[in-house]
Amino acid sequence: MSANKILIVDDEPTIVRLLDMSLKSDGYTTCTAASGEEALAVFEKQSPDIVVTDIKMPGMDGLELLKKIKNLDPDKEVIIVTGHGDIDSTITALQYGASDFINKPVRDEALAIALERAESKIRIREQLAAYTHNLEEKVAEATAEIRRRSNFQRLLIHSSHDAIVAFDRDWQIVVYNPEAARMFEKRARVVLNKMTIEDLYPPQLAAHFKKEAKNGTDDREDIPWKEMVLETRDKKQIPVRYATSVLHEKKEFMGIVNFFQDLTEIKRLERELIQSERMAAIGQTISGLAHYVKNILIGLKGGSYVVNVGFQNDNMEKIKTGWQTIQKNIERVANLTQDMLTYSKERSPEVALCSPNEIVSEVKDLVSDFAESNDIEIVTRCEPDLGQMWLDPGTVHRSLLNLVNNAIDACLQEEDPDRRFKVEIRTRKNEHGAAVFEVEDNGCGMDEETKTKLFTPMFSSKGGKGTGLGLLVTKKLVEEHRGTIDIDTRLGYGSVFTVTLPERPETAREQTDK
Amino acid sequence: MGKKILVVDDDPDVRSFVLTVLEENQYTPLVACDGVEGLEVIQKEMPDLVILDVLMPRGSGIRLYRHLKTDDALKAIPVILFTGIALRSFLKSQKALEEFKGEKVPEPDIYLEKPVEPQELVAAIRKKLD
Repeated sequence: MSANKILIVDDEPTIVRLLDMSLKSDGYTTCTAASGEEALAVFEKQSPDIVVTDIKMPGMDGLELLKKIKNLDPDKEVIIVTGHGDIDSTITALQYGASDFINKPVRDEALAIALERAESKIRIREQLAAYTHNLEEKVAEATAEIRRRSNFQRLLIHSSHDAIVAFDRDWQIVVYNPEAARMFEKRARVVLNKMTIEDLYPPQLAAHFKKEAKNGTDDREDIPWKEMVLETRDKKQIPVRYATSVLHEKKEFMGIVNFFQDLTEIKRLERELIQSERMAAIGQTISGLAHYVKNILIGLKGGSYVVNVGFQNDNMEKIKTGWQTIQKNIERVANLTQDMLTYSKERSPEVALCSPNEIVSEVKDLVSDFAESNDIEIVTRCEPDLGQMWLDPGTVHRSLLNLVNNAIDACLQEEDPDRRFKVEIRTRKNEHGAAVFEVEDNGCGMDEETKTKLFTPMFSSKGGKGTGLGLLVTKKLVEEHRGTIDIDTRLGYGSVFTVTLPERPETAREQTDK
Repeated sequence: MGKKILVVDDDPDVRSFVLTVLEENQYTPLVACDGVEGLEVIQKEMPDLVILDVLMPRGSGIRLYRHLKTDDALKAIPVILFTGIALRSFLKSQKALEEFKGEKVPEPDIYLEKPVEPQELVAAIRKKLD
């Protein structure tokens, strides 16, 4: 550190010279003045660090000089040289900010001590200034960084597509972004730091979060996404999804943050998707049905033509044939309607004590004429002591008829000329006492693809001759009876359909009770 | 009696309808329930025209049609395809078969999609026979 520069002021040139010599010999740089006025001029030009001035001088005295210097630069040290017992001046000098006092005559040691004190004050001030400067810089830097971060976070929260609402430990709202304002339809101005959780949320939700807050003990506890419906003031329902973070510091509850996502658009898209899927299914259903209905129409038109011809020619045989065609097709419409109703409606089985084997005989009687005319043998192999069981006879009848008709169709589709076609219907009881019906044919069988598509609505392997409803209805009836349907098939060799129906006496009793 | 026309169709309703139309228009009807029976009748009776269903069990209409069109003794017999299947689907299956078998058969003379009015059927028959 460079030596301080000292300005010596005294109206007595001898003293000035003496002090000047003494200080120079101590290694100081010095400058001098013989009056207060001169001292000021030198001070402004040379900018000394320390001024040593006599108090009593003609013109501007030491006190005046002190005042002016302190005015110009309060950091400069001014040492006042006073006469003995000049208490008043000393007090004034102190008030003006003098650093020290030396009594006249000036002794070297006293001056040295005063200078040392002044220098140490300067040093400390310099260090303090450097330190303060440093600190200010650092604070400025940190402030800028904090501002940048907080701006970023504020922007993040502000521009979030989620509504973000945060509460402090007193449940006052401290974060509330524009999306939240939109969702809750309240301006940030009236909410932020003014409302509590109860003012903003529906009572149940507020209570729910308050409960969550109490339970938490970790640093941060995240409550996963949940869904709910918010109701706005004008009773508009907004489906939302929300997540929650409970904030803790040192195991103490600090607050809670909620993130809300408006699901209105997503829900709308979901609804649209379901709708379009339904439309596609309906489209498929309609085109499948249209094909089948067209075939019925062909039958009805052809039949009525034949009847008309019969009338014109007075030919009873023709009328009969045509009328049979018409009746057969009326029956097909009736069955189709029945199938459609069965498929579309929830239905519980109508259980009664019935004989499975008798139903098998009925079904056999219904199909045997048609089967015989197509060289297909219908065989029944029933367990004789099956007796009466608690089943829905309608389900048994319809399922068997469907399966046997399918079996006959499978025989008709197989083109092996040497094969003797046979459909076998079997009954038995399984180990759980359930009724088991098996329908086996040695017809065309199915490949894997057909097998997997069997229970698809409106799938038919019979062209326009099937509605695609038969197996679907069968499956539905069987499942409503809590039963199962199984298929074993081999392409070119035939299929076995197995329907297992458990007895349902309780259902019968319920129905009686009603 | 008029010219002999064979109906090959597995659906009895269609058979009785076509049979009646043929009788009403003074043709001599013959019937068969499937492709196998159809070929037997054709070889025995040599009909003047065949009305043929496409989708049938036991020897489909497609097989019988291809047989007729590749058998020198039978290829002159005109065939009316009479079916619920759209012509487009039928031609597509023909194309696939041709590529598979490496033989080409002429496209059907007349292709009627069910249902048809009796007059349409008669008009188609007359077009081939008269």
